[in-house]
Amino acid sequence: MTSTAKLSSEEIKGQVVDAVKAIKDGPRAMRMYMETCVKCGTCASVCPVYFGKSEKRYNPAERTDIIRRIYNKYTTTSGKVFGKLAGAEDFDPEDIESWREIFYECTGCRRCATYCPFGIDHSVITRKGRAILDKLGLTPDTMAKVVQVSLETGNTDGAGPDAFRAAIDFLEEEMKDEHGIDVKIPVDVKGAEYFYVPPSGDVLVNPEATMGVAKVFHVLGMADNWTMSSKCFDGANYGLFTGSDADMKQDNKLYVEEAKELGTKTLLMGECGHAYRIMKMIMEKAGWWGELPFEIVNCMEWTAARLEEGKLEFDKSKNSHPVTYHDPCNFGRSCGITEEPRAILNASCADFREMYPNRSDNWCCGGGGGLSAMDDIIDFRMEISGTKKLEQVRETGATYIATACSNCKRQLTQLMEHHEMQVEVGGVHDMLSRSILINGKAADREEYV
Amino acid sequence: MEVVRFVVGGVLPYIAVAVFVVAMIHRIYTWKKLPSPSITLFPAPATSRANAANTVKEAVLFSSLFKGDRFLWVFAWGFHVILALIFVGHFRVFANVDGVLVSMGMSEEGIQAMSAGSGGTAGVVIFVTAVVLLVRRLVIPRVREITSWGDHLALLLIGAILITGNIMRFGPEHFDLTLTRDYFATLASFGSINGAAALENNVFLLHMGLALLLVMYIPFSKILHFGGIFFTHQLIRKT
Repeated sequence: MTSTAKLSSEEIKGQVVDAVKAIKDGPRAMRMYMETCVKCGTCASVCPVYFGKSEKRYNPAERTDIIRRIYNKYTTTSGKVFGKLAGAEDFDPEDIESWREIFYECTGCRRCATYCPFGIDHSVITRKGRAILDKLGLTPDTMAKVVQVSLETGNTDGAGPDAFRAAIDFLEEEMKDEHGIDVKIPVDVKGAEYFYVPPSGDVLVNPEATMGVAKVFHVLGMADNWTMSSKCFDGANYGLFTGSDADMKQDNKLYVEEAKELGTKTLLMGECGHAYRIMKMIMEKAGWWGELPFEIVNCMEWTAARLEEGKLEFDKSKNSHPVTYHDPCNFGRSCGITEEPRAILNASCADFREMYPNRSDNWCCGGGGGLSAMDDIIDFRMEISGTKKLEQVRETGATYIATACSNCKRQLTQLMEHHEMQVEVGGVHDMLSRSILINGKAADREEYV
Repeated sequence: MEVVRFVVGGVLPYIAVAVFVVAMIHRIYTWKKLPSPSITLFPAPATSRANAANTVKEAVLFSSLFKGDRFLWVFAWGFHVILALIFVGHFRVFANVDGVLVSMGMSEEGIQAMSAGSGGTAGVVIFVTAVVLLVRRLVIPRVREITSWGDHLALLLIGAILITGNIMRFGPEHFDLTLTRDYFATLASFGSINGAAALENNVFLLHMGLALLLVMYIPFSKILHFGGIFFTHQLIRKT
């Protein structure tokens, strides 16, 4: 977000046209997507939004064509000469209000890219559209607010260090109740080998995942080898969703600096797909901050490796209800983490069921791309973008959906409530937390809220 | 008519080939030099060699489309494969390649039978697939609503080329390969096409003129996907 001042039509048009013209200079994928689509309609047939409501405005190829028409108009000879006949159309500043809706009606799940004969990833263009809006100060208010809070406080919930410490104290008490012994969650420990960064939801809203991670460290006798940070406890980074690279970097920088400050060897990312993706697939790959003195690992990979070593034991009867796993788009399609959560769930649950299709072919929950945080479009999320997911969940007969993403969790919880389904939604390490054996005993607890 | 023959038969071939070659090279060169941050989509091949192999697989088998839309795959893949076969088959029109085929063990009768049999079948089948693709574009809402003039134009242009080609094969007038070979030999040696007998055939003239338009149209239209596919898959399957 740069400014919120009201811009004139000419200023809006100027900025939009310049931003679209800039696509000519890359990145390569974006320009090639402008020049390669054959309009075959395959993307629409695999899109969760278009499945929910088959209207032109929800067609991924049409959304991309909004940008492409302007691109053709200003950068191609055929577009300049033949206009509409060559798929070119000028930008009308009146359209900017509809852009604010349309570019936030794509969940950025990248399912289209998996099936497109050319691998066109429409989420790249969606993000471009959002970036243009963001530069104009026209990011939808609900989204803009999340970014603002996150940049001001370091987390999307706007919680301070005291609130964080209180939450951690509460979790330690809970674990004491469950197991009758102290299971520590170290905070701000310099020199700790592992620095655990969950989404803040896994501390404040669905904290069982964090308890699960703490229990794994405890069982392995590594309770002194890890830490959390009272400043940096939310990997969520909405710059990815608003299209602002500057915001994304600013948010990210705080975490990388804290990891360096703590002298960590392993940045252990929590159950948050886009947080891990930004760290592993974007920040590290692009070398934003040069050589990193630590490696980036996801907590599900880490726990699955410990399972492999045979160091963890479970009482599966604690999780006897049917459990399914929803692959978050950012883990399944964008980071290739699909087997690790399944290993954890198979080890800790008696009745694990797949939903179909799954892994990299899984359907989006309907709240991807940050939409989950937008309550102003809840009707859209419940009645359109989430309909396929509802169908998939119903088919499994599961009473618990495990997923490794706070946005998926929020969307799925609302979806289940909205459609009156008696299905609980939670994390992967949540299931582990309920059944892992500490000194031969699983957590002693009847009710989970 | 002489002017038309001269322009279509004597000038256009050079222009079309030049436009195609220059525009394609320019296009690929510009794509190549653009910055390209990784936007990996999984499952992604682990090595660049495996990535290249995957791209070839996508380009040859349309494997993503096979997974995404089986009905479209049948017609799209069929259409492109036959198009490739027809392209190869046309070498017999350009030059006398029968000698090569004979040295590979084919008999003169065999070559004739292959040309008439597979060539004739291909001409008919591809026309049917093109019609199906066009009808699909008009009938299925998710395709119709994103279709623009360019999408129709490409298909109609190819359709017209197919029809004129089929007329030459199945029409009453005898189509003489020797004449076209002479004509293309003259073109290749930059000789004068004045009085080239092949150009007396108006259907041939029309067929070739449309085909040359198509060749020039490729780098500036949706048909550019024929080059793009070798890049776009590489981009997202790169870890």
